[in-house]
Amino acid sequence: MSEVPPSGEMRIGAETDIVVSRRTVRDAATQFGFSATDVTRIVTAASELARNVFKYAGEGVMRWRHLETNGRVGIELQFVDRGPGIADVEQAMEQGYSTGGGLGVGLPGAKRLVDELEIQSEVGSGTTVTLKKWRKT
Amino acid sequence: MHNFAISVIKIRDVLLVTMPPDPDDSTISALQDKVLTSMEKFPAKGLILDISAVETLDSFFARTVAETAQMVTLMGGRTIIVGMQPAVAVTVTQMGLTLGNIETALDVDRALDLTAKPAPLLKRQR
Repeated sequence: MSEVPPSGEMRIGAETDIVVSRRTVRDAATQFGFSATDVTRIVTAASELARNVFKYAGEGVMRWRHLETNGRVGIELQFVDRGPGIADVEQAMEQGYSTGGGLGVGLPGAKRLVDELEIQSEVGSGTTVTLKKWRKT
Repeated sequence: MHNFAISVIKIRDVLLVTMPPDPDDSTISALQDKVLTSMEKFPAKGLILDISAVETLDSFFARTVAETAQMVTLMGGRTIIVGMQPAVAVTVTQMGLTLGNIETALDVDRALDLTAKPAPLLKRQR
């Protein structure tokens, strides 16, 4: 495990960056004190979203941030791309819906693993997915 | 380039495939090729897929495993997955990922015992 700053960003521009994003998120979430199961949940969600960035947009950025509000500690991850965007965000969140030839379980699955997941997307200009997970005390 | 990360060995008449802890997508895709060519080459009755080192099993990984198992079935073999870590099992279930109709075992020893017995499907046909 390597030391990760409380916030930062990395570029996703190659398939192997999906692995790098997983490692970064694993190190960050472990450092922020999440349980082993929660670390796995967060890393798995990050893997789905990093792959979406690469698969649909070709490149983008992942940001991570340590959260601390009202005595709660958590992690925020943001995946930003300037890809084609999502025409129907509600549909994209449905289990079994996919435009990419997948099973359509990535996005809805990722949402179930975290506490909050928000998608901002505009067709033709890109997608930003923000997720939050709070540490159990 | 990443093929080296998957180890395929033959024990008795089954293939034992061991996945690395954090394989990239091309390594996961290589799993399929490697398993199918090895099935033909040896030839094996089935496949034991050891995922005890795997830390993250996302939808892409799950889909590849399910597809590979289906292909092994078409080739007349069976697939047994062993060693899923508790945190991975929790995550996979919560996401609603399915691995298809795959047999599972706690470890490689128990999986080998399983392969000594007829596959559940074969049993039903008798």
